[in-house]
Order: sequence, then structure tokens, then C-alpha cells
Amino acid sequence: MSHLSTINACKLLLFRRCLQAVLLTVGIQFLLLTIFLLFVNFQLLRPLHWISVTLSLVCSMYTWFASIPLVGAVVLYGMILCQQHLAERLYCPTRFRWLVHYAPRKLLFLAAHLLVGYLTAWLYTGYMHTDYRHLWYKCYDQECISAYHVYLLGMGIFAGCYYFVSVHMRQEVEIEFPIVNHLWGEKLREVLYSSLARSLIKSLLPTLAYTLLFWLFGGVVCHKLSHIFAVDLDERLEGFFGVATNGRLLFYGWLLTSQILSNMHLMRCFYSMFLSEEFPLAITKNRAAFVQEKEVTVVAALGLSNVYVVQCLAAKYLYNLVTAGDAEKRSELFQLTEPGNRPANWRSLCDQCLSLFGNFTDELIDSMQKISVLKGSPSSPPLTPISENASASLMAERVLTRQYNQMHGIRAIVSPRSNAVIDRPVDRIHRVPDWCERTSMQLEQSLQLLINRIPGIVYMFTEPEGAKTAFLLTHSLPLVFVIQALSQICVFSLKEDRYGVVQTDLPDIIRSMSRLKGELDKLSSVASNLRGPGSSFSVLRGAVRRSLFHICVAFGEYLSELIPSGEELHQLQTVINQE
Amino acid sequence: MAALSNLKQCPPFSALADPSFGAKHIPELDSYPRIHVKGELHNSSAQRFYGGPGFVPVHEGVLKRIIRTFFEAGFWDSLAETRSEKTREQAPWLGKTGDYISQLLGIATTLKLKVFPHTHDLSAERIAQYVETRDWIDSDVRFMAWNCHVFKLAIAGIDDVVRIYTRNTDAATTVLKSTTQTQITCMAWRPLSATEIVIGCRQGLCFWVVDNTMILGRTNSPSQFFKHPANLPITSMQWNKLGNLLATASIGDRSIIIWQPDSGLMEPLKRLGPPGSLLKWSPGNDWLFAGTVDRVFRVWNCHKHWTTERWTCGNGGHVQTACWSPCGRFLLFVSTTEPILYRLQFVQQTLLKSTKDEKEVLPIADLNACSADENRSLIGGPVQQLAWDPRGNYLVVTFKSTNHIAVFLTFITKYDLQISPAYYLSGEIAAEHPSFVCFQPLYKEEDRSVLTIAWSSGRIQHYAFD
Repeated sequence: MSHLSTINACKLLLFRRCLQAVLLTVGIQFLLLTIFLLFVNFQLLRPLHWISVTLSLVCSMYTWFASIPLVGAVVLYGMILCQQHLAERLYCPTRFRWLVHYAPRKLLFLAAHLLVGYLTAWLYTGYMHTDYRHLWYKCYDQECISAYHVYLLGMGIFAGCYYFVSVHMRQEVEIEFPIVNHLWGEKLREVLYSSLARSLIKSLLPTLAYTLLFWLFGGVVCHKLSHIFAVDLDERLEGFFGVATNGRLLFYGWLLTSQILSNMHLMRCFYSMFLSEEFPLAITKNRAAFVQEKEVTVVAALGLSNVYVVQCLAAKYLYNLVTAGDAEKRSELFQLTEPGNRPANWRSLCDQCLSLFGNFTDELIDSMQKISVLKGSPSSPPLTPISENASASLMAERVLTRQYNQMHGIRAIVSPRSNAVIDRPVDRIHRVPDWCERTSMQLEQSLQLLINRIPGIVYMFTEPEGAKTAFLLTHSLPLVFVIQALSQICVFSLKEDRYGVVQTDLPDIIRSMSRLKGELDKLSSVASNLRGPGSSFSVLRGAVRRSLFHICVAFGEYLSELIPSGEELHQLQTVINQE
Repeated sequence: MAALSNLKQCPPFSALADPSFGAKHIPELDSYPRIHVKGELHNSSAQRFYGGPGFVPVHEGVLKRIIRTFFEAGFWDSLAETRSEKTREQAPWLGKTGDYISQLLGIATTLKLKVFPHTHDLSAERIAQYVETRDWIDSDVRFMAWNCHVFKLAIAGIDDVVRIYTRNTDAATTVLKSTTQTQITCMAWRPLSATEIVIGCRQGLCFWVVDNTMILGRTNSPSQFFKHPANLPITSMQWNKLGNLLATASIGDRSIIIWQPDSGLMEPLKRLGPPGSLLKWSPGNDWLFAGTVDRVFRVWNCHKHWTTERWTCGNGGHVQTACWSPCGRFLLFVSTTEPILYRLQFVQQTLLKSTKDEKEVLPIADLNACSADENRSLIGGPVQQLAWDPRGNYLVVTFKSTNHIAVFLTFITKYDLQISPAYYLSGEIAAEHPSFVCFQPLYKEEDRSVLTIAWSSGRIQHYAFD
């Protein structure tokens, strides 16, 4: 199967899952509407009537027809979400590049948020008290614009905008693998409960903020609308007390906001739930002519670097396969395949994993060169000599302090005296640039300084420090799974690999893990200052450290045979003997 | 019926052989550290040290002091500061305001406790009822944990200090102490790591990294600290074998919480029923045993979408202690109501292909108290703790009211487990009883199984099995 057809097969499968998520989201709209109606039509003394009226309203023809626009908007929202999940994750070094690449997509998504918010408010106002139901009403025998209705429609738009700004504007959509993989029904119940309960609290702030805005600018909007529709102005919500004392309106606004927020949060969760389900992959490619052509192997899926979701799913599949404790399934990895009795499965998997590690580490090293604290820092800085008149205990203390400082990235207040001053050659021939060259250099420098002083230029067109490193760490989830899976395979190979297919690659695996660990250790002092990666760094570092430790402990006796003696072997032995 | 016949086959304690304790010299044990916790408890070096007293006090205004306390230690401490004598002297009106707020909060708390009585603050006595350590409140040793990969033994003392002992006895003992670490109930070294340990205590979970830099004395606070979502004490915890998930239980919470410490995320395993008290992860991580404060206990299937099987033990009791066989096919447990050792079998019936994987609880040993020797000292009775050696050859049982340690021989086959009494271990004096026992993991294939016993006198003893 070619690379392109693998991508297509994976995308098709994911698209089907997205469709399932859309269908579920559409179904949830009616559940949310039912909850809203239960709140709005609440009757304490007539509970049966209350429930029957609510259910009859939900099942009425009006509801089915009136909800068509909202369902359409939800489908559009879902499609955009699907596109964002399946799109390639590109690194944009500057904010300008980010705007060029992501702005159209983000604007479209914002529009979808506004549309869903507006249509939800429009649909829900149809079930409210008569005063809130229509855009205009009869006042003093004249048509007036209803400020209540305007408030609620605006509330819907504001809620959609609020959710987009707080959740989607800066971050990319991510699938979240659950810590505990519950049954599907349990997951759904948990997501529903938590979303509905949390949104009731989370909607308080936007409701208050919008109410404040409406008090300040609501009159202007109503005035404009009354001009457009050539009707009279509604004066019921004029002034602070007009807005603040209308309890029913505030309650409707709060309820509407919580429904919209929970609706959008549920859509995000459903996508995450469907997309994070186990991907049907194969270890061995079936060569029989009649088998399905679209069977995708783990190795092929791991290689799809331009579809991040597929890479994550393939890595998770491999991790689950190895850790589930099913030796029979694992044995496929160590099998010799026909023709030629070669370990084709292991060979391809190992090459793919090592290439993933190698590429990631190389990119990480490149990106770390741009971090000023780490720039040019050698892997082990040369030790400055300690004066001979110091006592042994003082020297030991100094050495330990220096080691501690180096480990935690603490720099000395005074830079150490450079020996270069002493070693500088006295007679050195320098080329002196002529006046023309000097002037042009000065001009260039001043122009650069001048441009940099224009507000926004540096902000827009300069790469923020550590941005690439943060991007790499944020997208390191496949590596976290792969590295743990590979170490488990290596450890299991001691007992399960009958043909010894793994042992030839052990030195390379250990070296690549050790190299990555070294780079992550260097980064540890500045990781907390990087914007973006959050916990990704500690997750990756923990996974690498544990995996390397696992291999070193399992192959402790053979380490000297696997790695030629030297600094590398010494480092690995210290990993084990940390007593 | 089969269970009853099995029970009858189990020989009573009177048939136990003479103690072999201390009869022969084991050279491997020479390198083990000689520990007497009581002596170290009174050692001044282990006294609490907080950063605060080391700094020169400065004069600051009342309001500034209260605000600082709020940001440093939270609302309750700032309220206490508001009501302190010093504040009352400087600004009496602030002290009175603090009193009013405190009274109001007191009324609110009383009302809340009337509506939700189960949210009552959990006392040390209540915690002691459910932990595996005998006489947990007054015991010098509250918990012990061996590192899974390197020779490191962590011992939590009554002074809320955890001491780390290594094979090298010349080196200073590493001491872990923090203000956020009181009433330690459990500890666990992180698997696949030589340096990380997590301590479960009243405040929550304290994560420490015990590396060489600690000798400098600079790491005097945990590397991470997690609080229980409902601010409850942690009473039991276990890592999974890969060291990426940590399961915790609290006797005030119905849910078991699965933490992913690296990412700082957690997810509760929710079920209706009494709060959890005891957790034991099977060696292969296929099952998670969860005891509760009531007769109910559950076994979670970690691979099949975390489905659960619900079991109950005798009326009015709860599961006191449980342990998994090293192969992960058998679970042994004892309830507080009866001194009977039960077994639960987890074997996949592949030959008979039964649609439902039925399991059966079988009583396998009668642990009723009986006379141990000619001095008529008793052994047996209500069980305190079970420990199974890593090779699966010996099962060690300690008791709540008698002072000897019973050792059983176990023989595990694929579908069966046979158990027979072997001998018993005693303290140096008759009054000495075991507070906590645990087996050291096997670091090499040829290693002996070593049992570490914390006696009530504060003495730590290592006992090597053949």
C-alpha cells in the first residue's frame, strides 16, 4: 500500500468516526433542549403536567422544523472540527506566518461558533415567556423592538464568541487519550454529567460580562435595530437597574449561556472520544491476494507524520499491544516472515521507531540552539580549576555545588574569568575594512535597529525564543507511547524472542534513547519558561527516563557487551546504580 | 461445600514447627543496614527544620502580614493570623472581624455536616482503623517500602519523617520531611525509577526525587504535591508496573483516583457504595483490588474497559488486608470479622470455554488463635497484615492481638494453590509485636527472599528465607 493510499484509508476511517460524532452531537441537541425546557417550564405543584408539556414540546412538529437551522450549523461546526483534527500540523516560526496559515481557518471556525450560538439562542427563545419570544412586540399600539429578545440573541452570539476565544483561538484541537478507558456508555454519561454541571458555573462570568456590555452598549444596538426595522424603541432595559433587576431575563441569559457552552464542550469531547478509540491496525501485512487492500500496518501509520492524529493512534495501538499482557499478539513482532525467513515485522518497526526518535532529537537539538540560555552550551561544561589551598571538604562542597548548579541551570552572577584573555595571541593580523564597507555596515545596522523600533515589527516578524522547542514538545505524544512500547518490547524479547531478532538492534535503541534523554536533561532547566508545552515536557522526559532505565535494568548484565566501553557505558551504568 | 472440606484440611497452628528464627547466619544480611528507629526519632538531626526560622524577622504591618499569609498559606491560615494575639494587640477590630467570620463559617460547617455527615473530618483514630500498620497512631514505624530496582528502604516514622536507608551504611541517611507531609499512611517507590518515591499522607500525595543532590540538603520540599480533589487524606496507594499510573484511595471518598503524575491529570473510578480503604494492583496490572470501609470489595479488570466485580465479606466487617500471588492468578484476603484466610482465583478457563468467567471465594486457612509453645503464648486471631514473598513460596501473616508472625508455605500451580503452615517468628522479647512487614523485591534471579519486619520497639529486622 502506497503512502498516499495509507493516508486516504486512515483519513476515510477517521472521517467516518467524525460523522458518528456529528450524528451524536445532533442527537444531543434535543437532549439539551429538553433540559432547557424542563428548567423553563418548571412547575413544582404539577410535576406530571410539567414533564408531559416539556416532552410534547420537544416532540412537536414546530421543534423539528425550527431546529433544522441549528442542526445545519452543528453539522458545519463538526465538519470544521473534523478538518482541524485531520489537518497537517505546521510549525509557524513567526506570528505573521501563523496568521497567514491559520487565520482563515480560525475565522471560519469563529463564524461557526457565532452561528451555533445565535441559532441556539434563536431556537430557545421560541419556548420562553411571550415577552422574550419575538423580536418586536406591541407597545402603546405600535410595533416596538423587544430589548429582551435582542439581549438573548446577543447572549447567544457572545457565548459562542467567548467559547472560541477561551478554548480554540490560541490552541490547536487535540485528541485526549483517557487515563482510564471506560466502556462507551460510561464515558458518555461521565462527559454529559461533568459538562452540564461545570457549564452552570462557567457560564456565570460570561453572563455577567455580557450583561455589563449590554447595559453600556445595548441601547445603541436597539436604537440601530429600530431604525433598520422602522419600529419604535423598547425602553424596558434602559439604565443599570432596568437590566440588573430583571431576574427572569438574567436567569434565561445564564441558562442559555450554560447550554451553549456545554453544547460546544460536548462536541469537542465527542470528537475526542470517537477519534481516540483504538485504530484497527495490523502488525503483519497480509500478502494474500484476496485480503482487503486497505489494511494499514502500524509501521505505515507511524510514518504518517503529516496526519498527527493517525500517528498518535498508531503509537497508542502499539503501546496497548505491548502492555496488554497478550504474549501471542506480541509474538507477531518477533516472527520470521516468508519469503526468506527474515524478521521483516521487527525490522520495519524498529527502523520506523528509530527514525522517529532520530528526527525528533535532531529537530530538538536544532531548536535548542536558539534558546539563549542553552545556546552554545557544551554538553558538559569544562570545570574551572579549584585553588589548591582549599581543604578537601571545601573542594568537595564546591564540586557538589557546581554539579547542582549545572543540573538546575543556575548561572553564576559573575561570569568566570576567561583564560582566553591570557591565551590571546599578541600578534594577530586583522583585515581593516575600508570606509565604504564600514559605512554600509553601519547603515545596515542602523536600519535594522530603526525597523526593530517600529512597534509590532519584532512581535510579528521575529521567532519567539524556544517556540520551535515548545512546538516539538507539544506534539511529542506519539513519541511518548512509542518509546515506552519499544522498551517493553526489548524487555519482553529476553523471554519471548526465540530467534534473537531484537538483540542486534539493542545498541542503536539504547543509544537513541540515551541521546534523547541527554537533550531533555539539558532542557530541564528552561522547560518551565517555555510557552506552550505545559506538561508535555515532563511526560516525555519521564517516559524516556523510565524506558531507558527499564532496558538498562533488564540488560544490566549484558550492557558492556552491547555498548563499547566509554563514557556512554559509564552513563548507562550510573543510571542503574543510583544507590 | 468444597470450601468447607478445604478448610478442614488446613492444619491448626498447634502443628507448627519450632521457630527457626535466628538459628543460622545468613552472610547476605551482613550488608543490610542496622536500623533502630526509636534511637533516630530522638536524634536531633531528624528534628523538623523549616526554612522560616532561619531568616531574620522583619517588621510588617498587620494588613500586610495577613495578606502575605493568605498568599503563602491560604484562607484558613490567614484567618488564624487575623485572630492571633499579635493582631488583636495591633488592630483589635480586625481580630473581632476574624471572630465573626470564624463563627459564621462554623455555623455553615455545622449545617453542612448535618446534611452531609460523611464529609466529617477524618480523625487519626479512624485512619488507624483501616491501615495495615498495627497500632498506627503510636507505632514508631508507620510504613515501609522497598525500592523495586535498587537497594533503598524507605521508613516512615511517627515523627512524619521518611528516612531512606541504602546498603552503604557509612553514608548519611537521607531524610524527607516537609510541612505538607503529616500522618503518613502509605508510601510507594515509583517503578522503573531508582530515585522517585511518593508518600501518601493527610494532606495528599508528596512526590520526592531522592538523588545525590539531597546530600547538600537543598531539596527540602517535595518535587510535586497533589491534593485529593475533596481535600481528604490518602489511605492507600499503588503504582502500576510501568510507573505511569498511580491509584489512590481515601476512606472519605467513594471513588478510586487514578493519577497520571507526569501530566498532572487524574480520573476517578466511580461506583456507588462505601468509601475505599485498600488498594492492591495485581503484579501484571490486569486487576486492581479495592477494599472499602464496609463489607463490599471490588476487583477492577484493567484491560476490559475497567469493568468491576463486586464481592462482599462477612457482616459488619471490612477487608483488613489482601495480597496478590506473584503470578497474579490468586488473591488472598482476610476480613476483620473472622480470622479466616480466603482465596480468590483469577485463572482464564481456556479449556472449558465458559461464557462467564466465574470466580469463587474459597477459605483456605483457619487463623483462629491457639497456643504456640509451652509458655502458652498465643498465635493467631484477627489478622493485621499479609505479605507474600516474591517467589511465591512463603506467606507471612501478622495479627492484631497476638505478637508472633506466622509463616505459611505456599505452592502455586496453574489452577491451584496449596498452603501449609510452616513456622512462626517472634520478637526479642515477648511484648514485642510486629508493626509492619514487607518483602524486599528480588533484584537478581539468585537473590533470596528477605522479609523486613518493623517491630513495635522500633527495631528493624531482616529475615532471609531459603
